Amino acid sequence: MSELGRAALLVTLGLSVYALVAGVAAARLGRRRLALSAQNALLAAFVSTAVASAVLLAALLRHDFSFTYVARTTSEALPTAYTISAFWGGQEGSLLLWLLVLTGFGAAAVRLNRSWARDLVVWVVPVFAAVAVFFAFLVVAVASPFATQPAPADGVGMTPSLQNPYMLAHPPLLYLGYVGLTVPFAFALGALLSGRTDERWLVATRRWTLVAWTALGVGQLLGAHWAYVEVGWGGYYAWDPVENAALMPWLAATAFLHSVMIQEKRGMLRIWNVLLVFLAFSLSLFGTFLTRSGVVNSIHAFTQSSIGPWFLAFIAVTVAVSVAVLLRRLPLLRSRARLESPLSREAAFLYNNLLLLALCLAILWGVVYPLLSEAVRGEAVVLGRSYYDFFLRAFGLPLLLLMGIGPLIAWRRASLASLATTFRWPTAFALATGAVLLALGAGSSLPGLVAYTFSAFVAATIVLEFARGTAARKALGATSWPGAFFSLIARNRRRYGGYVVHAAIVLLAVGIAGSSAFDSVGEATLRPGETLEVGRYALTYRSLDERQTANATELRALLSVRRGGRDLGTLEAGKNAYTVEQQVSNEVGIRSDRLTGEDLFVIAEQIDPDGTVTFRVFVKPLVNLIWLAGLVFVLGSLIALWPDAREQRRLAERASSLGLTTSR
Amino acid sequence: MLAALLAAACVLLVALPFLKEPSPASDSLHELDEAERRRLERLEARDRALAALKELEFDHRTGTISDEDYRTLVGPLRREVAAALQALQADAGSPADGTAGEGRPSGGRTS
Amino acid sequence: MIALSVAAVLAVFLLYTSIAGGGNASVSPSELRGRSDPVQLAGLVVGPVTGDAHGGGLRFRLRDIGEKSGVTVPVRYTGSVPDLFKVGRHIVVDGRLRNGVFVAEPGSMITKCPSKYSPAQKAGTG
Repeated sequence: MSELGRAALLVTLGLSVYALVAGVAAARLGRRRLALSAQNALLAAFVSTAVASAVLLAALLRHDFSFTYVARTTSEALPTAYTISAFWGGQEGSLLLWLLVLTGFGAAAVRLNRSWARDLVVWVVPVFAAVAVFFAFLVVAVASPFATQPAPADGVGMTPSLQNPYMLAHPPLLYLGYVGLTVPFAFALGALLSGRTDERWLVATRRWTLVAWTALGVGQLLGAHWAYVEVGWGGYYAWDPVENAALMPWLAATAFLHSVMIQEKRGMLRIWNVLLVFLAFSLSLFGTFLTRSGVVNSIHAFTQSSIGPWFLAFIAVTVAVSVAVLLRRLPLLRSRARLESPLSREAAFLYNNLLLLALCLAILWGVVYPLLSEAVRGEAVVLGRSYYDFFLRAFGLPLLLLMGIGPLIAWRRASLASLATTFRWPTAFALATGAVLLALGAGSSLPGLVAYTFSAFVAATIVLEFARGTAARKALGATSWPGAFFSLIARNRRRYGGYVVHAAIVLLAVGIAGSSAFDSVGEATLRPGETLEVGRYALTYRSLDERQTANATELRALLSVRRGGRDLGTLEAGKNAYTVEQQVSNEVGIRSDRLTGEDLFVIAEQIDPDGTVTFRVFVKPLVNLIWLAGLVFVLGSLIALWPDAREQRRLAERASSLGLTTSR
Repeated sequence: MLAALLAAACVLLVALPFLKEPSPASDSLHELDEAERRRLERLEARDRALAALKELEFDHRTGTISDEDYRTLVGPLRREVAAALQALQADAGSPADGTAGEGRPSGGRTS
Repeated sequence: MIALSVAAVLAVFLLYTSIAGGGNASVSPSELRGRSDPVQLAGLVVGPVTGDAHGGGLRFRLRDIGEKSGVTVPVRYTGSVPDLFKVGRHIVVDGRLRNGVFVAEPGSMITKCPSKYSPAQKAGTG
C-alpha cells in the first residue's frame, strides 16, 4: 500500500509542476485550452493527494506498523479517535494535510471563479501550483509519510497530553486558517501578474479570507483552552513562539479584512492591501516553519529537523517574488482617492491597521530576537512575558477604543461637533462604569481598569448601533421589533456580523483583563482537615483518593469549597501516573461560577507519600468570558459570511454586461 | 497497478480540454480589452458610489450621521454617482444602469 | 506617512529591547562556567533527582542537549514542577549560578513537549 501512497504523491508533484508551467504558458500566450488543462491539473492534484491521504488514514486505522509513521505516532491500544488525529500529529502527516487542504482549496477557488474572472484565474492557477510544488516536493523527497520498516509488534504510542479532544480540532482548524490564507494571496499575486487593477480579486476571495481568519481565531482559542484545562499551569497563553506563530498571521489578516473595506468603498489603499495579504501569507508560512523546525526555544519545541532550511528558502523566494511583481505593477495600483481628513472612518481604519500591524511586528520581533541576538552578540537573549504584555497593552488598548469609534464615524470627513453628539452617550456610560469599578476596587490595576472602561464604551456603541438600526427599520415599515431586528441584520450582513464579532472581542478583552489583572493566587501545604483561603474562597482538604484505570494510576485530593460562608460543594485535583509512558500529568480542578464567569482553579502541585498535599489555587474572575467570546466570534463570522442573494445578483449583472459568464 | 490507474486518470483529466476540442474555432483566451477593462472599472466606480450613497442614507436615518454632516456629504456623493452613471452611458451606449448586454460590441472576442 | 509610522514603531521596539532589556541570555550548561548574571539555562535533566521543590529545593543536574557526556551543572529548584519533568527531559529554567550551584527562580521551569515532529531517529521518546 505504501507504494500507492508514494506514487500518488509523485503524481501530485508532477501535476503541480505541470500546472505551474502550463499555467504560466497559457497566461502569457493566451491559450484557452492550455489554461483549462492547467486548471484541471490542479483538480487532479487534489484527487491524487486525497488518494495518498486515504492510504495513510487506512494504514493508521489498520495499525499497520510497517509504516514508520504509523509506528511512531500510534499504538494498538490507542483509541480510534486519537489514531485518526495521529494523521496530523507528526511532521510528515501534517505536511500531507497542508498539501491536501491546499490543493482542495486551490481547485475549489479556481473552479468557482473560472467563468466570471477568467483572465484573473489564468494567473492564479500557477501561483497555487507553485505553492503546491513546494509542499509536494517536501512530502516526496524530504519528509515522506510512506517510509517503511520491518513492522514492530506495537507502535510507540501517543503522548498522553495529546490524547484529548482538543487534538482532534485544534490543529486542523489552524491548518484551515494557514492554508486558507493562500487563497487571497494567490488571487492578489495573480491579479498583479495579470496586470488587472479591478477589484475582482477582492470580491472573489472575501469569503475565503473570512473563513480562514475565523478558523485561525477559533483554533487559537481552542489551543488556549487546552492549555488552561489540560496543561494546567493556571494560564492560557504564554507568548510561546509557537502560539505567536498563529497569532501573527491572524493579526495581519484582521488588518487586511478592515483595510479591504476601505478599498471597496473608496478605492484607496490598494498597494497597502496587497502588501498586507503578502505579509499574512508569509507569516502563515513562517508560522508553519516555526512549529516544526526547532529553531526557536519553545515549550512546543521540536528537534532540529531538515525541514527548516527548505521552509526558510521558500519563504524567502515567496517574499522576493511577491515584492518584485508588486514593484513592477506599482504604477497600476496608484489610486486617485486621498485621505480627506484625519477624523474620518478611513482614518480610523488606517489607525486600526497601523496598531494591528505594530502589535504583529512587536510579536515578530520578540520571536526572532533570540536568533538575531545570537547572530549579532553571540548569545541568544530571550524576551520574557513583560515585553509582550507591555506591547499588548500599548497597542491593544487603543485598538479596543478604536473598535468603538470606527463604526460610528462618518466616511471622508467628520466634524468635531457631530463626533461630540454621536459619542455622548457611550462616553458617559463608559466613564460612569469606570467610576463604579474604581469604587469597587478595580484601581488596583490601571491597565485592567482602562480595559474595562474602553470595553464599556465599545459595548455601548454596539448596542446603540443595533438599537438605532432596528428603530430605523421599524420606521420603514417592519411588522414588529424582532422582525425589524432580524431584517436589519439580514439586509446588512457584513456590517452587523462585524458588530457581533466586535462584541466578541469586547468579551475577550474583559475576560483577559479580569483573569490577568484582577486574579488572586495562594499556595499552601495542607494536611487533611486544613484550610487554605484565597480571595473569598475557603478550601478545606478532606482526603486523598487513589484509583486505577486501564492505563494510569489516578491520585485525587478532595477539597470542600466555601465562599462567604456558603457551601459550594467539592472539588478534586491531583495527578495521573501513566504506566506505559512513564509520565505524570497534572489534573487540575476547576470550578466555574456560572453567574460571574469566575473560575476557582486548583492545582495539586505536590502529593507527598504521607498524604500531605501542596496546593496552588487561583481565583480568575471573568475568565469564562474568553470562551464565550469564541462562540460569539463564530456567530458574527457566520452572519458576515452568509450568502447574500442581492449581492450575488448584482455581481452577476456586472459580469454579464461584460460578457464574462458565457459558458466555458 | 492502482498507481498506474491513478496516473492514467490524472493524465486524462489534464488532457481533457484538448481531447474535447481537437480543432477549435479559436484557442485564444478571452482577455478583457481596453474598452472592457475601462467599462469594468466604471461599473465598479458606479457600484461604489451607489453603495456609499446608500450607506450615507442609512447612517442618517439611524441617527449616526447628523443632519448637518448629511447635508455636507450628500451633495458630493450624489454628484459622484451622476458622474459614474454618465461615464458608463458615454461608454458603449448601453442603458445607464448597465443591465443586460445589448448594445455592447461583440467583435473579436468569441471564446 | 505610513512608511514613517512603521519606521517609528520599529524604532520603539529596538529602543525598548536595548534599554529595558526584558530578556535574559539563554545558555547551555557548558556555557555557564564563570557567569554570575541571571540567565535562562536550557538543558537535559540528569538524575538522580532528590529533594522537594516545595521544601528545601529539588536537586538535579543539567547537561548540554545533544551531547552524550560532558559538563553537568547542579541545579536547585523551588516552585511548581511541570508535569513533564523527568530525567532525560529537555527543560528551560531561569536563575543564576551561585557557589557552583545554579539557583533557579521559583516557578520558572518550563519543560518542552516531547517531540511531535522529531525525525525518525528519535522514535524512542514518543
